Amino acid sequence: MKRSFAALALAVTAAVHAGPMGFNGSTMAMGDFSPNWKEAWVNRAVTPRDAFGAGGLQMRSDDKRLTRNLSELTYTRLVHRINGEHSQANFWFVGGAGQLTGNDFGGSKTMLAPGVSADYETTRFYASASARLYRAQGINHDFVSARTGFSFYEVDYDETQPWLIVEARRMRGLSEKMEITPMLRLIHNRYFVEFGVNNMKQGRFNFMYIF
Amino acid sequence: MKTSIKLTTIKSIAASACIIWATANFNTVFAATSVQATVNGMVCAFCAQGIEKSLMKMPATKAVFVDLKKKIVAVEAKDGQTLDGKQISAEIKDAGYDVVKLETVALSVDDIKAAMKTKK
Repeated sequence: MKRSFAALALAVTAAVHAGPMGFNGSTMAMGDFSPNWKEAWVNRAVTPRDAFGAGGLQMRSDDKRLTRNLSELTYTRLVHRINGEHSQANFWFVGGAGQLTGNDFGGSKTMLAPGVSADYETTRFYASASARLYRAQGINHDFVSARTGFSFYEVDYDETQPWLIVEARRMRGLSEKMEITPMLRLIHNRYFVEFGVNNMKQGRFNFMYIF
Repeated sequence: MKTSIKLTTIKSIAASACIIWATANFNTVFAATSVQATVNGMVCAFCAQGIEKSLMKMPATKAVFVDLKKKIVAVEAKDGQTLDGKQISAEIKDAGYDVVKLETVALSVDDIKAAMKTKK
């Protein structure tokens, strides 16, 4: 039970790490896939600082006995940006609300998931941290994660840039394990892909594409 | 006979000079003009793409070039049209970045791109 909710929260939060919205007027599609959860969502930036989105998520517990489905509407806000001479730092708010169903309870539950995140990046270095509350009736799973990484070399923006990213994430009260996933990230001007294997030997693939 | 050859030679030289002069003036009149901005906070491909897309929507824009490492955004004007530096600055700022320097240069985007490549 606890593991399944951990999977839920991890999946919903994953997109935050990827950069939660694109430039004004753009539509961003994101996906996060691994054996225990499969997620896809899309959002539309209606201003340079605001985006609305919708997503779907399927997940299961590590022992494969419990499954969960979440349909969620999201609102993303770029609260503050600091532009440095060779860097950028962002502070984000992400709010989500949706219906959660599972194979161990009837009907559905309304889940609310407000969160904040911050990131700092240069053309060669990346770091981020996020925290998000996951609350529904009888459910309380707060989540934190951190990511850092570097690019192997600089490229022109229309060339593919490889990065090594390491992510650590944990959900209070659900698992004593800290999940750590090293991933290779490839960024091109309209998309990025990430793939890696976590410390539980599970493969993971993420993507993001901007229309 | 010699006088005739000399005259022909002089005429050829004069014609060549006229062509060179005309070409030079044509290039001067129709030289490419670009606005080059130095931008803070522009560190990723997605940043560059957003800026490029918004600047390409401007009616006077012919081409846009972004260099992340040198923090440069260059916008080339269409022939016979003038770029509005203030509007370019506003578009970049609206996209979430800071313009710290703005200058007009008599170069095309391709020229600027080539110069940046040479500097690397």
